[in-house]
Amino acid sequence: MSVDRSIVKQAIFDAIPLWVPAIPFALIIGLAVVESGMNPLLGWASAWIIFGGAAQLTLIALLGSGTAVAAAVTAAIVVNARHLMYSAALAPKFQEQPKWFRWLGPYVLIDQLFAMAMLRLDDDPRTWRTYYLTAGGFFWVSWQVTIAVSLFVGPVVPSAWNLGFAISILFLGLVVMGIDTSPKLVAALAGAGFTFLFAGLPNRAGLLVGALVGVLAGTIVERVKSDD
Amino acid sequence: MTELFAVLMVGLGTYAGRALFIITLANRTIPPAVLQALQYVAPAVLSALIVALLIDGEGNVALGVPEAAGLAVGGAVAYKTRNHILTLVVGMTVYWLVRALICDPQLRVC
Repeated sequence: MSVDRSIVKQAIFDAIPLWVPAIPFALIIGLAVVESGMNPLLGWASAWIIFGGAAQLTLIALLGSGTAVAAAVTAAIVVNARHLMYSAALAPKFQEQPKWFRWLGPYVLIDQLFAMAMLRLDDDPRTWRTYYLTAGGFFWVSWQVTIAVSLFVGPVVPSAWNLGFAISILFLGLVVMGIDTSPKLVAALAGAGFTFLFAGLPNRAGLLVGALVGVLAGTIVERVKSDD
Repeated sequence: MTELFAVLMVGLGTYAGRALFIITLANRTIPPAVLQALQYVAPAVLSALIVALLIDGEGNVALGVPEAAGLAVGGAVAYKTRNHILTLVVGMTVYWLVRALICDPQLRVC
């Protein structure tokens, strides 16, 4: 059993440029942990347990702002609903893999890795597994290190800078860059609008109303458009 | 304890979403209606989040001029450049500048 070094090298080479945009996420998660008053160790552990920046940041930011735990957990889980599509898309390729890898692989299945793995579906099973595990491992280690660093940097930043606002800008960037069709735009506007309308609900539960209406609105607009 | 529980739940939920088809339903396909709804979850939840994070203790949306300016410019930069780092840097800079220009810390206007 020898690992093909050229595959390992290629995986890391491909992963590095995709890793760079994730760095601000890691830094802001560190700040969010500090700002929310969460135990930094738990903040770091959450990066191991969840291994998904958007879900982790959603949970920490909402818990820190006094949102009901059930609403925060729900929002954090569904924010990554697209993972279901990744899972379905890669399932056939995973069928030819050993069991241990079918259980381990999904744990590191982030956006970047999905994009990389999809481009190499023609690889033989062993090459594909080496490539997947190398890139996944690279993302995982880099993520844990950057989060750890940000947990040390976070407390040093003066609170007067209000860096917590960067969380909102980061989420806005995610929304804007994810909108590529008009129904998605409608979903985003409805999500924001209805959360605003239901802002008075206790424990920020309006968030769930907004999310639900947003999904419905997007779906309806898509149906109406395809009927034309 | 509550926080640890919440983290574990989200960890489990996130893993389940990634693993579902790979481990158990490899031969199934997602029903078209579900697939259709799935693409709207991220934009709806994320934009709901942005608003939810601005809600203050009294249930009002606390969107001051600096926040609005930072979000507007940040959104425009995200749209034009599709670059997270640039979006963050420009958005926060605008937020700080506007805050420094119009907010008087003594008067606590902002």
